[in-house]
Amino acid sequence: MIATWYAIVSLMLIVYVVLDGRNFGAGMLQGVVAKTSEERRQVIAAIGPLWSWHEVWLVGFGGTLLAVFPKLMASAFAGYYLALFLILWCLILRGVSIEVGGHINDRLWQGFWDFVFVVSNFVLAILFGAAAGNLARGVPLDANGDFSMALFTNFNVRGHVGLLDWYTVSIAIFTAVLLAAHGATYLVLKTEGAVHQRSATYARYLWTAVVPLFAAISLESWVVRPELPGEAIYNPICWLGVLIVIAATTTLISGLRTGCELRAFLASTFLLAGLLITGGAAIFPVMLHSTLSPQDSLTAYAVAANHKSLLIASIWWPIGFALATVYFIFVSRRYAGKVSVNRDNQGFY
Amino acid sequence: MNSNLSDPAFWSRFQFGFTVIYHYLFPQLTMGLAWFLVFWKWRALRTGDERYNAAARFWAKIFAVNFAIGVVTGIPMEFQFGTNWAGFSRYAGGVIGQTLAMEGMFAFFLESAFIGAFIWGEKRLGPRFHFLAAVGVALGSWLSGYFILVTNAFMQHPVGYKVGADGLLGISTLSAYLLNAWAWVEFAHNQMAALVTGSFVVAAVGALYALRQMHPNQSQLYLRAGTCVGLLASLLVAFPTGDQQAKMVGRHQPVTLAAMEGRFEGGSMAGVAMIGQPNVAARRLDNPIEVPGALSFLAYGTFQSYVHGLNEYPADAWPDNIELLYYSFHLMITLGTLFILLMACASYQNWRGRLESKTWLLWVLMLAFPFPYIANTVGWMTAELGRQPWLVYGLFHTNDGYSKVVSSGNTIFTLIGFIGLYFVLGLLFLLLVGREIAHGPEGETGIESRADVITAETKEHVV
Repeated sequence: MIATWYAIVSLMLIVYVVLDGRNFGAGMLQGVVAKTSEERRQVIAAIGPLWSWHEVWLVGFGGTLLAVFPKLMASAFAGYYLALFLILWCLILRGVSIEVGGHINDRLWQGFWDFVFVVSNFVLAILFGAAAGNLARGVPLDANGDFSMALFTNFNVRGHVGLLDWYTVSIAIFTAVLLAAHGATYLVLKTEGAVHQRSATYARYLWTAVVPLFAAISLESWVVRPELPGEAIYNPICWLGVLIVIAATTTLISGLRTGCELRAFLASTFLLAGLLITGGAAIFPVMLHSTLSPQDSLTAYAVAANHKSLLIASIWWPIGFALATVYFIFVSRRYAGKVSVNRDNQGFY
Repeated sequence: MNSNLSDPAFWSRFQFGFTVIYHYLFPQLTMGLAWFLVFWKWRALRTGDERYNAAARFWAKIFAVNFAIGVVTGIPMEFQFGTNWAGFSRYAGGVIGQTLAMEGMFAFFLESAFIGAFIWGEKRLGPRFHFLAAVGVALGSWLSGYFILVTNAFMQHPVGYKVGADGLLGISTLSAYLLNAWAWVEFAHNQMAALVTGSFVVAAVGALYALRQMHPNQSQLYLRAGTCVGLLASLLVAFPTGDQQAKMVGRHQPVTLAAMEGRFEGGSMAGVAMIGQPNVAARRLDNPIEVPGALSFLAYGTFQSYVHGLNEYPADAWPDNIELLYYSFHLMITLGTLFILLMACASYQNWRGRLESKTWLLWVLMLAFPFPYIANTVGWMTAELGRQPWLVYGLFHTNDGYSKVVSSGNTIFTLIGFIGLYFVLGLLFLLLVGREIAHGPEGETGIESRADVITAETKEHVV
């Protein structure tokens, strides 16, 4: 039961990351793939009306986490205090820049909001990357299951760690490049003309850059958590994740080579999902690893709500998820195909 | 509770209070305006009158800006349960997390899937589906309100829970939790209040255009719908919903009722103070002018009913800011009464067909729109200050709920950040909505706006 809920909560986070990750990536690249105001509107229109729908997955994840793993939410959110608020502020600025940028047809106005848009997406990718790094490395949990983490301490990965150290920073850089590659692949699918061409070039470069970075962070992860690979070998879900990654990588390469844009984008989505599945399964059942003493780590079993609460959540959650899937089909059908600035822009008059 | 400025609990409370009050300025208009959009789309569908479509299109633009700010300011609310209220999340997460998650799964997915379709999809969807998209958005926004009010009702009047072996709360009966009597009354009261905000805003824009002698057809539509719904909602927010809410407080939180009224001595024939300043140190209401017996009657149904006084309870069981609670409650009921009078007057003139020529009344309607926002805010302050010193009434103290590991330094840092960011958001909102209102609804006649649509369609074809 608790393992299932761990999978469900992870699933919601993975859906959020692959959906909003493409927006972060596309947003980061807006400054380089779009040169004119018209082209920048094209990038915004590709993200356009869907960003709030994507952010709902984050809200759904937060609510579900509170319902089924209340003690984890309490420890982790209070401990990650400053980092979480930075994420929230960037999400606010990102959403606002999408919504208000197109309202006034003025060079300065649009230039300013495009700048806010690019910067907030970049910072979001970095922060989510650092958060992933923190999950893998662990946090300074004490025996009460509490921690309070500074943004940085001495950049070491043991003992009283900070949010940022050499390991989490490198994960953050990897994440930014990975999401940029994902976003470029998305823009290839959704745009036409010059933006399309430039995105295709960037997608090739960025995916190439992902390969050595991935090798580097795998090695680093092994140094930081030497016990994890040994346990993961016996975990079938990890193998499933690895298989998804391998299949997605081959599909992605062929998709990019042959210009099958949809295939490439779906492959990129599954590649991200596969990586997260592997990581999520490898750390299970520990949800927060303690860098101070491993026996203080919080496992899913220790932080779960009582059995009755989980049982009740198991009744309504599938209904909600089924409805969300129906809306998902509706939404993706409605916004299928290339965007056109005239039809999908945010300008009101 | 110790409200000392060096107390970390104070800063977490202040931050939550500030961000939630600010956030709720936007959803109340979303929930109030949503049914106006549904109404106009329905009229357009039934009558084919293009004026209704023009009205829906104009208000959809304001709705969109308002909705976006509501979304971005809403996400921090859910996260603060974990960041600033870790003790509360740990204690009650197994219960309140259920509705917070349901809000995402059942309401937000619905709302956010259809909002884009409603605002940008009129041409793509066609009239019938565009109407349905409006219904989807309205239902989603009200459903999300319901889940939040169930969560709040649990904090006011906990039901359907069980204390586990570890001393933490878990849910025991989902139906009892979801159908909490407090939640139904609070929901009805709150939704009517949101409709009051919506109708005052619609009427104010109608009055503005009428005074400027612009967009006469549209202004007439706004004034008619705004005053009619405004009167109905202002009446319903007071009776039966507000009345039931007060009775509920009297029944389950008698000490709160005493504090709301600044009553230190218990007794029958208890009055409602029209004017008076609570003097907590001296345990009396200074300069009181009271309507005798009104409180006994309102809270318990007869003038002879006994109303408890604060002196009957130990001081540490009192809400920790009686003064603010007292003023919030009295401001809310005073404004609520004025709303009924104003809307009754406007509706009467409207019924006689003379509203457009009553300049003074149009001026009042135009300038009245901020007051429902104030009334909604002080209403919520009454509910939340009245709940103190409890976080979950009778079970869990506010002082046990905040995150012990988060220092005041961190909370004040993020509070300053929120104040700065929200100030900018407020300016942006006013600027953008001001521009939409200055620009006004499109084409006055049906022919003109149809021409607009045709040009837009040809443009699309060319592209």
